[in-house]
Amino acid sequence: MSPEAPVTIKVEGVSFSYRDKETLSDINFEAKAGEFIGLIGPNGSGKTTLMRCINGLLRPSKGTIYMDGRSTSGMKIKDIAMICANVPADCSDDFSLTVQELVFLGRYPHVNSMWWESRQDETVVAEAIKKFRLEGLINRRLNELSSGEKARALLAKAVVQQPKILLADEPSAHLDLRYQLEVMETLWELSRQGVTVLTASHDMNLTSKFCDRVVMLNGGRTVATGRPVDVITAERIREVYGVEVSVFRDGDEVFSVPRRSIR
Amino acid sequence: MEDSLVKRTRRRLSLIIVLGLLLLIGLFVVSLSVGSYPMTPTEALQAFWNAVNLRGDTSQMTLDEKVVWIVRFPRFLAAMGVGIGLAVAGVVMQAVIRNPLVDPYITGVSSGAALGAACAVLLGVAIGTAGVYSLPIMAFIGAILAFTITLGLAESAGGKPVAFVLAGVIVGIFLSSITNLLMITSPSQGVQGVLHWLFGSLANTTLQEDAIILFVVGLLTIIVLIYARELNVILLGDDQANQLGVNVRFLKRGMLILTSLLTGVCVAFTGVIGFVGLIVPHMTRMVVGGDHRLLLPASIVVGANFLVACDIIGRLIGGAEEFPVGIITSLIGAPFFAYLLIRKGRDYVS
Repeated sequence: MSPEAPVTIKVEGVSFSYRDKETLSDINFEAKAGEFIGLIGPNGSGKTTLMRCINGLLRPSKGTIYMDGRSTSGMKIKDIAMICANVPADCSDDFSLTVQELVFLGRYPHVNSMWWESRQDETVVAEAIKKFRLEGLINRRLNELSSGEKARALLAKAVVQQPKILLADEPSAHLDLRYQLEVMETLWELSRQGVTVLTASHDMNLTSKFCDRVVMLNGGRTVATGRPVDVITAERIREVYGVEVSVFRDGDEVFSVPRRSIR
Repeated sequence: MEDSLVKRTRRRLSLIIVLGLLLLIGLFVVSLSVGSYPMTPTEALQAFWNAVNLRGDTSQMTLDEKVVWIVRFPRFLAAMGVGIGLAVAGVVMQAVIRNPLVDPYITGVSSGAALGAACAVLLGVAIGTAGVYSLPIMAFIGAILAFTITLGLAESAGGKPVAFVLAGVIVGIFLSSITNLLMITSPSQGVQGVLHWLFGSLANTTLQEDAIILFVVGLLTIIVLIYARELNVILLGDDQANQLGVNVRFLKRGMLILTSLLTGVCVAFTGVIGFVGLIVPHMTRMVVGGDHRLLLPASIVVGANFLVACDIIGRLIGGAEEFPVGIITSLIGAPFFAYLLIRKGRDYVS
């Protein structure tokens, strides 16, 4: 990522209240094209709420989110979807969609005609299918896939949206070690190609290994923002998670090993 | 390099429509010939052609022409329209509620219609000058009232799909009890009429009624077809569909209203024809897959052919005292569905 890369996402003083309870308070950060940002924090710290404010499903009660320089408050969700794609941890598979049909659905915001995708849509989908090694699986139904294959299909579906920003909420939550790494590696590669990637994860080690910067949230507030080595410290984790950990540094990477919970 | 998906899908779509139309034309001829007054296909077609040339003026018709024009042709049209309507309503309902066990009657529509019909027959509730249309109008009002109550209940319970199913079930049970109460306290003659209606029957439909059925079913089906891509997107789940820019809440409510109108119209004229709205979408989905741009047209074709075929079979095996089509749809549909389930169930049910 070059230092003069454009800012793709700017969160400015964002608060969100749900039934009089403020679940996000005055969040500020920005991310540039090609940056890989990790949101960390305990359950209920506001990671998912923040992501939902960014993708337009929730409207902030205070503050503004700028995407590509435009305030999202006036944008339709479909317009946001042309800039910002989501990678879910899972998706339902009980209606016999094939892999190819799933990936095509990612083109939904871009398709202008009423029914059929254009040649260009098909080219984009074909490229993504190749990139994520899904060629042999295109006619398989989703319920026949392994969780690793399904994760690749969901990534392909997000990529065909041709997003500048990619949001991944717990992208590797129920994958085994190998697929967790595969997903994070793919997201990292996408970020090197200029996409801003924002993940929320409970896995601090994977997050610190791949992310350029992390934002630590607690109780809806930003606790710290910066390089993983600067943010992830034993004191902070004790304070935020209530857990004793040992933290090891290895160059730019930092690993934490949980020891015990503090009662 | 493999053909593009869009091209392949479009080709499959054309194939389905062409095959479906050919089959329907065949069934049309059979439908005109079969009954307690049998004719050869040539005689039936000749009679139909003459009747068309007489512009439906029954006073100048021979017996053959009258049978074909007044009895059999209206039945064919009604079977086609109701088959399409229930199949489309079933496809949409299953996608919107995200439950493959759901059929168009799940929102209490059929029970509401039954109560309306019972009121018309047993209590003699007539709508001003509506005359013969009193029963269908009362049934339709009952259907829409039942749906409105279900919608209101489900929305105040949070509007989740399960809330819909539960609300529909209790509304259905409640209204059925009132219908049953009406029936046991009425003289048996009227009860026969209500029972016949409850089983679902295509006999005694008129061309005028068919025009209403076909117009409403056609119009609502076109609206549903326009939203085929949105229906695909909601298969991903509410969250993801919202993120892709589909207004899921609006779409789902709109689709529920459309399907209820669709079902209400079908039920009003022909009674409760069961199973079509459950089984046709499943059979079709097993064969063509989940893309609604294929699934909806294919279900239209299958629904029309299926109900016309069931009506023919009901006339063939029933003789003069023909079997109500609602019984035939289940008798034929269930074994066929079981067969498909064994053959393709492993791929289909996860």
